[in-house]
Amino acid sequence: MSGDGAISCSTCHKPENAFSHPDALSPGYTGNKHFRNSPSLINTAYKKIWMHDGRLGTNLNDVTRGMLTEDYLMNMDMRIMQERVKQDPLYVQMFKDAGYGEPSNGSVRKAIPEFLKTLTSRNAPFDTGKMSASAQNGMAIFKGKAGCVQCHNGPLLSDGKAHNTGVPENLDVFLDPLRHQAFIAYNMFMGNENYMKLKRDAGAHIHTHAADGSDMGTFMTPSLRELKYSAPYMHNGTMTTLMEVVDFYSQGGGQDSNKDERLQPLGLSYSEKKDLVAFLGALSGDLLTSDEYVWKGEFSGEYDAIKNWRDTRN
Amino acid sequence: MNRVIRNKILSVTALATLAVFTAQVSVSADRKSVVVPAVNSINGTVPGLTTLGAIPIPADNKQTDAKVELGKLLFFDPRLGGDATISCAGCHEPSLGWAWPDQISRGYPGTVHWRNSQSIINTAYYKKLFWAASVPSLEAQAPSAAKGGVAGNGEDDIMQSRLALIPEYRKRFAQVFGDEWPLINNAWRAIASFERTLNQFDTPLDKFIEGDKKALTKEQIRGKALFEGKANCIACHSGPMATDEKFYNIGVPYSLHWDEEGLAQITFRFENYAKGVTEEKYRTVKDDMGLYFRGKIDSDKGKFRTPSLRYTKYTAPYMHNGELYTLEDVVNFYNAGGVTDDGRTTDFTKTKTPLIKPLGLTDEEKKDLVAFLEAFSGPEIEIEKPKLPEYEPLFTRKELEDIVK
Repeated sequence: MSGDGAISCSTCHKPENAFSHPDALSPGYTGNKHFRNSPSLINTAYKKIWMHDGRLGTNLNDVTRGMLTEDYLMNMDMRIMQERVKQDPLYVQMFKDAGYGEPSNGSVRKAIPEFLKTLTSRNAPFDTGKMSASAQNGMAIFKGKAGCVQCHNGPLLSDGKAHNTGVPENLDVFLDPLRHQAFIAYNMFMGNENYMKLKRDAGAHIHTHAADGSDMGTFMTPSLRELKYSAPYMHNGTMTTLMEVVDFYSQGGGQDSNKDERLQPLGLSYSEKKDLVAFLGALSGDLLTSDEYVWKGEFSGEYDAIKNWRDTRN
Repeated sequence: MNRVIRNKILSVTALATLAVFTAQVSVSADRKSVVVPAVNSINGTVPGLTTLGAIPIPADNKQTDAKVELGKLLFFDPRLGGDATISCAGCHEPSLGWAWPDQISRGYPGTVHWRNSQSIINTAYYKKLFWAASVPSLEAQAPSAAKGGVAGNGEDDIMQSRLALIPEYRKRFAQVFGDEWPLINNAWRAIASFERTLNQFDTPLDKFIEGDKKALTKEQIRGKALFEGKANCIACHSGPMATDEKFYNIGVPYSLHWDEEGLAQITFRFENYAKGVTEEKYRTVKDDMGLYFRGKIDSDKGKFRTPSLRYTKYTAPYMHNGELYTLEDVVNFYNAGGVTDDGRTTDFTKTKTPLIKPLGLTDEEKKDLVAFLEAFSGPEIEIEKPKLPEYEPLFTRKELEDIVK
């Protein structure tokens, strides 16, 4: 499913990490590396807007296409992809069984979202009502003193909007030329005029383009579900534990002139922080690593020839 | 000085290289083809075989030493491709005829190509490039190859970004093109300029035409007469490049790789899909339609541009899909009227040129012809691969830490 056949969706979205990646910054395509943290795909089907910068706001079909074809992600020419899928008898049968008929570029983009729809939170204490006393205290702080709920609300615990919380830059984005090249290519492609001189991740500015730059450094409020398995945190993976995240907000977030004014020092005690972390943990359910979610069959890595090719319709 | 020696000097130091290229560029500007009589052939009156004239240099991409030197680096740099593993030289390897010795060229990792890789040598003289002459210049050929899904599979934005993070390229693009940041289109221009220096002027045939009657063996002289007479080769392989650059279906059969290999079948379908043929053709055609893809004209099916015969000693296998392994096979193929030794020919028999007919050559004549074909190649053109410049971070840690948000 990638241009050079070296990576799959699951390379950056690993089932054992709640379909995210444990590195601060995602691996990306073979010739480069990525400049953002790989988010969990669990519950992604509930989103209305995707990506840390919120640049995709249509549907999972488009998201799938974007991830497969983007040169710094999977660099797949979908016409080659279609012909690869058609060459594999197992896929040919599976597409037929799924009611898609002949495998095609279009049916791949339909089938992957159908799979993503099955990746939903299972048995999170928050949903089952079996939260510990500490987690229950944490929920009260979350809604009250800490005010997290102002942005982290609704079933996904996200308002689906972009905000600036002052998360510090991950300098590896700029100091590693393999990451920086992807960052430049992305900014160039998104029409960010200053792409060669940027020393910060512009976030949603790449599509909201506020003339005064007041949208610089804004990122989509992430869901707080499945955080237990999807460390490290933030759009650039700069925070390794949930306690670090809570500390960050307790001090009022980071330094940025665009920072959301609602972020103020919270003065949380250690036990309040621990309760908050317990609540955040209660938002995580089962790991989705069973056969239902993970293909454990083999991939031969090679393609057999179609027999009697000259007499067979392509 | 012959090309081999020139190129060896080339690689010693950048300065020496510049001097050598300067000499070559200026010499070639004065170069003129030896005037030879036209030849009457079954394809009408055609220009006789002769030496190469001045290297055609496009007015909007003049040769300069610095540009050629930059193009040389870029030619060998795999960062001008999708996953940074394949350079131009990846399929046009200098030690392998500046081509690739498989029947069908290697492709981007995870793929195989669908046509034979052609030599870079003397391509400056072609009016159009690729087997079906689908691009008008070397400047257009380079990006097409670097970006094609089964070739380089690169995209402009990431390739241009990579160049910007290599200080040596920033310096050189600024010097050569005045770029503030390296522009990817200028990379193709530099590569084209480098390729225009890769020519061979001193083949045995060139020397013979220039008056050295000992440059060809007796066998080769007999072969030349056959080439221009009984074998009718000159009908299409005429003039300084031994090509009329016109399109013919000579009967080359489909590639057996398409019949027998999964990856090749994937690419075959992809190419037809990508080139926009009708669904019925996508479903049923099993041979390379060649020129047809450009205008979608049925009478163009299976036609390819006559290739030059220069440097072919080093570029086996032959034909657009490498179906013929040796020059002997090529001569046998034509002698049989466009049929391979195992009796195969093109699927598009309706468009096959009437110029190709059984020739009735004797074994002796075939040998003479093969001997003459070898006279189109001089010594092998070698080059020492340059050491590639490295990436470096664009900003210092301090510059990054000092930004005010």
